[in-house]
Amino acid sequence: MKYLMGICGLLLAALLVYSTFAAPDKAAGSTAKMFSARGIVQQIAADRQQATIKHEAIPGYMMAMTMDFPVKDTNELNRIAPGDEITFKLVVNETNDWIERIQFVSHHIGAVTNKTVVIPTADFDLKPGDLLPDGELTSETGQVVHFSDYRGKVLAFTFFFTRCPLPDFCPLMDRNFSNARQLLLNNPYAPTNWQFLSISFDPAFDTPEALANYARLYRNDDAGHWLFAAASTNVLANIAPRLDLVVMHEGLSISHNLRTVVLDPQGRIAKQFDGNKWTPQQLADAMREAAGKK
Amino acid sequence: MSTGSHQWSGERIFFAAALVLALVMGTGLCFLLVAVNKHEAVQSKTIDSADIVPILPDHARQLVDFSLTDRTDRTITRAELAGKILVVDFLFTSCSLTCPVVNKHMAEVQQLTTNQPDVKLVSLTVDPRSDTVDVLAEYGQKFGADTNRWLLLTGDKTQLHELIATSFLNPDLDDPFTYMPGNFSHTDRIAVVDAQGRVQAYFDGLNENVAAAIVAEIARLRK
Repeated sequence: MKYLMGICGLLLAALLVYSTFAAPDKAAGSTAKMFSARGIVQQIAADRQQATIKHEAIPGYMMAMTMDFPVKDTNELNRIAPGDEITFKLVVNETNDWIERIQFVSHHIGAVTNKTVVIPTADFDLKPGDLLPDGELTSETGQVVHFSDYRGKVLAFTFFFTRCPLPDFCPLMDRNFSNARQLLLNNPYAPTNWQFLSISFDPAFDTPEALANYARLYRNDDAGHWLFAAASTNVLANIAPRLDLVVMHEGLSISHNLRTVVLDPQGRIAKQFDGNKWTPQQLADAMREAAGKK
Repeated sequence: MSTGSHQWSGERIFFAAALVLALVMGTGLCFLLVAVNKHEAVQSKTIDSADIVPILPDHARQLVDFSLTDRTDRTITRAELAGKILVVDFLFTSCSLTCPVVNKHMAEVQQLTTNQPDVKLVSLTVDPRSDTVDVLAEYGQKFGADTNRWLLLTGDKTQLHELIATSFLNPDLDDPFTYMPGNFSHTDRIAVVDAQGRVQAYFDGLNENVAAAIVAEIARLRK
């Protein structure tokens, strides 16, 4: 008998332990209340253990609102995404609440999805005939120059930075400028009112000194018709979006695309060369053509 | 004798009670073990993928209609991709550091999903003016993109940007030193779109384990 009482004691203790562990389930079974609900999923937490649901009124429990709910079985969210209409059971006991039995009803396109986003229209892009907004640049001699300083001349400008490591990018642009300059200088019929401008988008590194050193590599000792300068952040912020110029600092380097622009003597866009597939001859031709415009 | 038999039946009742209790407990313990195991399984899964957590959309996003051109000069519309699970990234071909890494991972996804015809890869350029059909053809070749499975799309800038902004990324990059058409944040993310056209999750495209995580996400979507 004593032996049995001992076993019983142990069993009771074990049962107590068991009931402690199983308490939430027991509570769910005995005192928990369950409500049927319907709503549209607004958001699902990264660990899928919580869902934000804009739900209809839950009769006898709460009015319609948007709320975060703990999710009992995260697998039930497998095919559910924000925007989906669902039905679910809301379970509430003295200490906890959660949702379960989540059922997909329909996908709500347009109900909460796809906010309208305003994108600048193509009118924003600079097209032939458009006036280039003016801007200040710091030249290789430390002087401040403006795009508008070259009114009366055909102006071709391109973008680069002196640390550019890719031979088919910035250095190619400057070789093209070098060769186009030679073509124009050597052609007795070419106009004389023209100017090249190589603009760095790395003003922090490309000081007048750095620019002057770099310029020597491409220009030899003859600085005629070709200036190197750096654009301030403000100028770039103004012009880059209108030319679709990409400048992205990535670590120590700068990722960028290539834009070469020819302005007529009135400062209007005459021609734009994208990328690196254009030739010095094409640029020289565009310069002559722009100079001929009244 | 009767006392004896009474005592015996008392013991019998005790044994029966003990047996029932043992059964209840046994069952309870079983459940407990299952629960603990399940808990551990969930935990270990979390730890395995801790470095690459899916990022859920900031709000419900749905693939909107579009008509763009791929690098073989084919017109590709949303209808053509209907019912497919899409793995989508964003690029500009002159990007020298991040995009090549992200697209290397796209190539890995292409490799890992070779026998999954319901999966297509899509690359959207933010700089269509530079990234023409020819430029994208060259770029796709560099990453071994299969012309039927991995579409590199270009086209009208406004349409491309509306597609990206509405369905994928916010045009709210706040970096005074960066200029990029569309000004999108998080262009280094790879998005996964389910067969119903809903953006399910984004992944950090620079993470070296991202391809495996995307393949796992695709498997989850098929369940």
